[in-house]
Amino acid sequence: MATTFEPAVLTRDTEMELLPAEPDGALYRRLYSYMLKCRMVEERIRVLYRQGRFAGNYFAAVGQEATEVGVTLDLLAEDTIAPSHRNFVTHIMKGTPLPLMFAQIYGRKTSPDQGRSAPAHCGYAPLNVITPSSTIAAQLNIGTGIALAYKMQRRRNVVVALSGEGSTSLGFWHEAVNFAGVRRLPILFVVENNGYAESVPVALQTAVSDISVKAAAYGIPGISVDGNDVVAVYAAAREAIDRARNGEGATLLECKTYRWYGHSEIDPAKYRDPAEVEFWKSRDPIPAMERRMESVDLWTSQWKKELEAEFNREIDEAIAFADNSPQPEGDEALDQVYSFSIRERELERKTWEPRFAGRLAK
Amino acid sequence: MAVMTYIDAINSALREEMARDPSVFLIGEDIGKMGGAFRATKGLLEEFGEERVIDSPLAEGVIVSSSIGAAMAGMRPVPEIQFVDFITPAMDAITQQAAKLRYRSAGTQTCPLTVRVCYGGSVGGGLYHSQSNTSWFIHCPGLVVVAPSRPYDAKGLLKAAIRDDNPVMFFEHKKLYRSMKEEVPETDYTVPLMKAAIAREGKDITAISYGYTLQLTLQAAEQMRQKHGVEVEVIDLRTLAPLDTDTFLESVAKTSRAVVIHEDNRTLGIGAEVAATIAEQAFDCLDAPILRVTSPDVPLLPAAAELEKFCTVSADKIVAALERSLAY
Ligand SMILES: Cc1ncc(C[n+]2csc(CCOP(=O)(O)OP(=O)(O)O)c2C)c(N)n1
Ligand SMILES: [Mg+2]
Repeated sequence: MATTFEPAVLTRDTEMELLPAEPDGALYRRLYSYMLKCRMVEERIRVLYRQGRFAGNYFAAVGQEATEVGVTLDLLAEDTIAPSHRNFVTHIMKGTPLPLMFAQIYGRKTSPDQGRSAPAHCGYAPLNVITPSSTIAAQLNIGTGIALAYKMQRRRNVVVALSGEGSTSLGFWHEAVNFAGVRRLPILFVVENNGYAESVPVALQTAVSDISVKAAAYGIPGISVDGNDVVAVYAAAREAIDRARNGEGATLLECKTYRWYGHSEIDPAKYRDPAEVEFWKSRDPIPAMERRMESVDLWTSQWKKELEAEFNREIDEAIAFADNSPQPEGDEALDQVYSFSIRERELERKTWEPRFAGRLAK
Repeated sequence: MAVMTYIDAINSALREEMARDPSVFLIGEDIGKMGGAFRATKGLLEEFGEERVIDSPLAEGVIVSSSIGAAMAGMRPVPEIQFVDFITPAMDAITQQAAKLRYRSAGTQTCPLTVRVCYGGSVGGGLYHSQSNTSWFIHCPGLVVVAPSRPYDAKGLLKAAIRDDNPVMFFEHKKLYRSMKEEVPETDYTVPLMKAAIAREGKDITAISYGYTLQLTLQAAEQMRQKHGVEVEVIDLRTLAPLDTDTFLESVAKTSRAVVIHEDNRTLGIGAEVAATIAEQAFDCLDAPILRVTSPDVPLLPAAAELEKFCTVSADKIVAALERSLAY
């Protein structure tokens, strides 16, 4: 990222209109097709994992697509996404090429991280997606710093920082939201409340029923929305992002949703009541959007089939790219620790001979 | 040239770098109006304004982590940690985020920031205003750890650190802040990172240290000359990680004896790394065991004067170790 104080060149018009009362066909189609794509990508990744095609683990956001899409659609290239382990699919809305995403899952040399990070813990510098670590909530504070820089640089850019409800128990979370409040930073904190942090239910995480109330403590607006209603999520995020862009500071947006599968691919999630899972599956955001669009003649099953065919083709190509990409060489582990090479230091340790003539004579 | 204390030199480096590069900014507790707990940032708020001299909330985690983000977005942040004793809330930011960002993004995302940290004892500060803790960061690949021993280096190394593309931990010993003065250029200069210095030349024995104890080592070297006519070569490590090993190995090859001195606890202090390196790479050069003069492995530093004195390094303790090595 360049050191510059010139206003960034915005790739899209920043004048965001409020959502029209009438359904916006083009917008609905985009929201829907991105949700479908996210679902298909993650379901495919899960199949690849079970087939043993990649090592490590994966953290699917299946069931949460309305939130993933609603808060990240229509960001500018220069805006930043600060994702957690759960938000790999947000790359799709930002525009990270799908082949690079699969190369990352596969740990290949062609991945943006060249095989360093675990699956899904991936950033993409050209489009300002922060490389997440595994430390819960850390990305929020780093995102806050990017928002601080945007403000200092007089850029009209924003940061969307995502985390789960579990993260709100950590000190880091509160430090980030407080700081953003104090300095009126252009950042949207999205808390994806999917009911669980690994096995721990939200009731053991916090005594409040709406996490958005925590915003009051930091002097910023807090909103809770149905995280399975993509239009509601998008509208709330849009408003908050517009406010941030206009110098009106941060917002906390809680999206109430549900994680269909385990915390990760190795978690059978036995700690949940199957009836609870069934209830939330009946609230699947994708068919909900289909019904909504069909009622105003924006959706047909034929169109869905066409989308599926297109996305499957894209996914197949991306997987082929990953499959054909080389593994990194072992000694590349020595690169990019610092801005300078440590290869010589690590690989060529020389031995020193006595040089003191007086001593030899002793 | 001007005669400057260590704290003057830090202040001067910050002022010059902020004037040179508009992306340099400061953030920390009490650094604005008050000019910092030790006045390192005195006058900078008035000169550069509130946007570039940020009085942060009392939260070390966000002081460092917001600096990481700002650095990713093209800024050159210089966060201040008032006392290294209170750096623990920022440990994740430093060791997991800053140190590894370049690595985990394969060089595509970086965070050039300089964390200024006040450390060290012998001021009666007690257990939470005396610690060194440099080893925590030396043990963390991806960080450059710097600890200057004198005003000239403090200014030149701080300027180099701010311009460096790696995250730098910059350790300033509070005892050095006002205890010595020397000529320091008022013009622009830098001192190279990752390069040790020969602080005093000698042929009989090598003494290796950094920071405040480097000054004590120089006093001990002078005592050795007066008492025994022994010429001690004193190596100032200056950068503790990545370590410049060549300078001290070269010296040991010449003198055949080595004593390492530091204020951190003994176990896994930089002395352990220096000693292991000499043993691995210059074993044939040695005429005596490598000795260490360090604080004992107790929480540093107990407050009462006698307890503190027992624990801290002194010129006399260094002289005793040099004598022991020479008598071997
Ligand atoms: C600081 C920290 N503690 C523990 C973990 C292990 N861990 C990884 S994900 C997770 C649960 C996160 O829950 P939540 O924030 O609700 O996000 P979700 O996985 O539901 O999206 C835990 C405990 C971690 N990565 N970091
Ligand atoms: Mg959760």
